[in-house]
Amino acid sequence: MSAQRKNSSEIVVTAGGWLLALIWILPLLYAFWTAFHPPAYAARFDLLAPWTLENFERVWTAAPFPRYFLNTFLLVTLILVCQFVICTMAAYAFVCFPFRGSELLFMFVLLQLMIMPEALLVENYKTLGQLGLLDTIAAMGLPYLASAFGIFLFRQTFKSIPKELEEAARLEGANLVQVLLRVFVPVAKPIYIAYGLVTVSYHWNNFLWPLVVTNSVETRPITVGLQIFATVEQGVDWSLITAATIISVAPLLIAFLLFQRQFVQSFMRAGIR
Amino acid sequence: MTSKLLKKTAVALGGLSLAALMAGSAWANTTIDFYYPVQVGGPLTKVIDGYVAKFEEANPDIDVNAVYSGNYNDTTTKALTAAKSSAPPAVAVLLATDIFTLIDEDVVEPVDTYVKTDEDKAWVEGFMPAFLKSAQVDGNLWSIPFQRSTAVLYYNKDAFAEGGLDPEAYPKTWDEMVADGKAVLKKDASGQVTRWGVGIPGNIGSSQWLFGALVAQNGARLANEEGTETYLTDPKVIEALQFWVDLSSKDGIHPAGIQEWGTTPQDFLEQRIAMIWTTTGNLTNIRKNASFKFGLAPYPGNPKPASVLGGGNFYIFKGAPDDQKEAAFKLIKFLTSDEILADWGIQTGYIAPRDGSWETPALKEYAAKVPEILVAKNQIPDSVPEFSTHENARTTKVLNDAIAAALTGTKSAEQALTDAQAEIDRILRPYR
Repeated sequence: MSAQRKNSSEIVVTAGGWLLALIWILPLLYAFWTAFHPPAYAARFDLLAPWTLENFERVWTAAPFPRYFLNTFLLVTLILVCQFVICTMAAYAFVCFPFRGSELLFMFVLLQLMIMPEALLVENYKTLGQLGLLDTIAAMGLPYLASAFGIFLFRQTFKSIPKELEEAARLEGANLVQVLLRVFVPVAKPIYIAYGLVTVSYHWNNFLWPLVVTNSVETRPITVGLQIFATVEQGVDWSLITAATIISVAPLLIAFLLFQRQFVQSFMRAGIR
Repeated sequence: MTSKLLKKTAVALGGLSLAALMAGSAWANTTIDFYYPVQVGGPLTKVIDGYVAKFEEANPDIDVNAVYSGNYNDTTTKALTAAKSSAPPAVAVLLATDIFTLIDEDVVEPVDTYVKTDEDKAWVEGFMPAFLKSAQVDGNLWSIPFQRSTAVLYYNKDAFAEGGLDPEAYPKTWDEMVADGKAVLKKDASGQVTRWGVGIPGNIGSSQWLFGALVAQNGARLANEEGTETYLTDPKVIEALQFWVDLSSKDGIHPAGIQEWGTTPQDFLEQRIAMIWTTTGNLTNIRKNASFKFGLAPYPGNPKPASVLGGGNFYIFKGAPDDQKEAAFKLIKFLTSDEILADWGIQTGYIAPRDGSWETPALKEYAAKVPEILVAKNQIPDSVPEFSTHENARTTKVLNDAIAAALTGTKSAEQALTDAQAEIDRILRPYR
């Protein structure tokens, strides 16, 4: 009886999972379909429709994509590396070296989670202008180098690591840096992978700030290049925009498919789903 | 390549020495930032770069940094952010309807500050009055028309013939449009409509534009010229919205609910809708992809035909240094010469806003090849500016929401517009 009930509820969950997955993937499937077919088939499904690469050719020549890819890659790498370093050290300090008011300070860090980055547009722009950094890749990354979410996440993880591990390492003669690098970071590896994935996809997609703070092809990321195909006034050319979208997401998509197993496992362990 | 480079250098050197002879100060180059959005397809950043290169050749003492900045919204955000951080661009192309917002934010300067010589005055007078009207506030000219568009009716001539109509006789009144719509309506055996009569895009973000046309056709207007009052509860305005709602609910010739702006041209090309209301900017796309005969027509009237104007103007930013603003004015004059506007129109599908442009050989030749474009041009004197008030983003959203509520049937047309008027009264009170 109870086994049966368990069985039927499992079917419901699986069916629901499939349904959600299908809804999630539909836009991507549509993008693939439209990108590889002539514009006449953008809104018509016909299995015999001719295949074409012309859309990709037109998109590729319309904007300097290789340069945009390079810029996005540099931007994402800069942010990812800096966030790992800064958030790790901040979280380590919050967990292992409590001082008077450190709880309060942590509250202030959390407060940052509640401020939309868009609200700081003008102030950030002003600061970067004073630093003389407008229209650089550093300018796009700078406001994001310290992440409140990252500090919070790493702090929670470090807190869950048994004190005994740390103490054992100290008894063995490890110094503070060694404790961090040999004990805390390895135990938190799944969290790092999960957090890295979130950061990479967020900054790969980020649009408004990079657009506002940059002016030239030499610094602009791929999302800004993509915008040129969203020709609102004229009605949307779906073939072009889907082709451009696929070009832009392809590196992430391929990377995800390659490392899928590791990603899923780390997410399961990290508990962020 | 080398000879081209040599030629360019020679021209630049020539220009430079000439300028140096004329004025010593020419050695100090002025660099200006110019933000512009791209709203239509094609490699338009290259076209703009080409114009700018020509301008720099003619004005060797000015360097223009032309910055493509997304769509209109993005460009406005970027320009306002820069202006608020006291590093504004000298010049930007922004929506004509943003005029009140930009004045209220105190970031733009009237362009007529720089109109001094008789030649400048003649240049201003060369623009079509309908386009200048929306740029004039408090007796000043705040912006210069550049990439302007207007809405027209596209109709499927083959469908007209199939429905027993004369393919050359487009509808001239609302009643005729409804009658034609019923004639071309096609259903399959199960009673499902396979071809609708007419489609008017009503999604959030574009509905206020075409609604402006409907209201003007019905002999009313949405807002006053000072941007402080809206007239949504005017019976004529309510009647216009009711007509739009009835196209679907009563006459059954319009797809139910909200027709999407972005997919409307596709619906027309796939022959799912026989008449569509959209911008002239779609002409190139539709000409290229239509597998049937189609025509362009001016909008019908009830009884007076009318359309709306849209698109972007040049604004000069107040916070830029004086020499940059002077340079920006020169750039604007250059980019709105008859020849450049004619070429820009041909490259993009925008309507050149100067009569002189239509006299240029290039545009004449183009109009001979694409006679439909003249339909749009001839309709301009009958066109009204797009809905624009103080706090434009907010009032436009309220109006958009009201139209959506009426089209989807959650509110009656009268109720939706009455509620919207009350909301807008609240928003605009400080400006009255």
